[in-house]
Amino acid sequence: MKVTLRIQRYNPERDSEPYYQEFIVEAGDEKERILDLLHQVKWKFDGTLTFRRSCAHGVCGSDGIRINGRNRLACSTLLRDVNYRKPIVIEPLPSIPIIKDLIVDMSDFYRKYEAVKPYMVNNSPPPEHERYQSNDDAEKLFESAKCILCACCTTSCPSSWSDDNYIGPAALLKAYRFVFDTRDEAADERLDAVDTPDGIWRCHTIFNCVEACPKEINLTWHISQLKKRLTEREM
Amino acid sequence: MAYQPKPPDGWLKTNLRYYKHPGSWAWILHRITGLGLTAYIFVHIYALTTLTQGPKAFDDEMKLFSTPVFKVLEWLLFSLVLYHAFNGVRIVLVDWANGAKYHKKILTVVYGLGVVLFIGMGILMFREPIANMFASLK
Repeated sequence: MKVTLRIQRYNPERDSEPYYQEFIVEAGDEKERILDLLHQVKWKFDGTLTFRRSCAHGVCGSDGIRINGRNRLACSTLLRDVNYRKPIVIEPLPSIPIIKDLIVDMSDFYRKYEAVKPYMVNNSPPPEHERYQSNDDAEKLFESAKCILCACCTTSCPSSWSDDNYIGPAALLKAYRFVFDTRDEAADERLDAVDTPDGIWRCHTIFNCVEACPKEINLTWHISQLKKRLTEREM
Repeated sequence: MAYQPKPPDGWLKTNLRYYKHPGSWAWILHRITGLGLTAYIFVHIYALTTLTQGPKAFDDEMKLFSTPVFKVLEWLLFSLVLYHAFNGVRIVLVDWANGAKYHKKILTVVYGLGVVLFIGMGILMFREPIANMFASLK
């Protein structure tokens, strides 16, 4: 079965603007991944096609791209998930600087991520065994801990598109991950970091992040828990 | 040589091109109805300035507002109020209750209630004039 890929290309050494290029590739069946088709293009037709991918199994989060207008992982999107009878449009993540072809500059994304201190802070002396956490308390963190930092959510958010300084859903999710961790002691610092006009209050509950997340995390729910915690702190 | 990454498209172009689902439509409609209602407030305050020009000016204006065209506009204004109010409640439920888990269901209720009340208001507003119209035909 023949499938047409319409890929956005951009080579900073040659092009002043991105343009689209079509490739017709051969797909075995509709269970083939978009990533396999990109490989086919790179290996058979044009070795200069540039994209990130590492594990290719939806764990590393490096191949976040825009497929038919929505952010997804190339390795977790099968042909049957998209309309492959028409050309499949492949573009880099929106609203983030393009380095080359499908590779985007994630430095701003990571800078915002670091603003919420994405690591455990606990300065009390360690007990003899582990820092204990009950099953119920751990359960509250499981969903938020599934994040693989693919940036699909933050770059799908209309608030991010119009406000370069908006911290974005990925960083807010990480804030939740540690604020609600019973072993963590820096909740207030993290809450201060997100309690700004460009922080959590720029979230207008549009749910684009939830639709985009390849790990099916309900980001808006986690952000709403943080909003509640902030209001409680204020009162 | 190091290359400057290419800056992304603007927010409007990205908004137009990105995939839309019920949640993003709800947000877009909320923005549009919000802007519409804000614009209406200004029109409303401006219309009230005839109060300073004596009773006749005001009565003439009220006569204009009771013409069919303005009645229909009033009915459409009610649809903005309905959507903005009910979706506002939905946003509150998303932020302060567990609404984020059921936001699409709440949205269905928002649209459903909105349509029912909009039609209901239409019946209340236009039942008499339409009945009169048919009565005059006989």
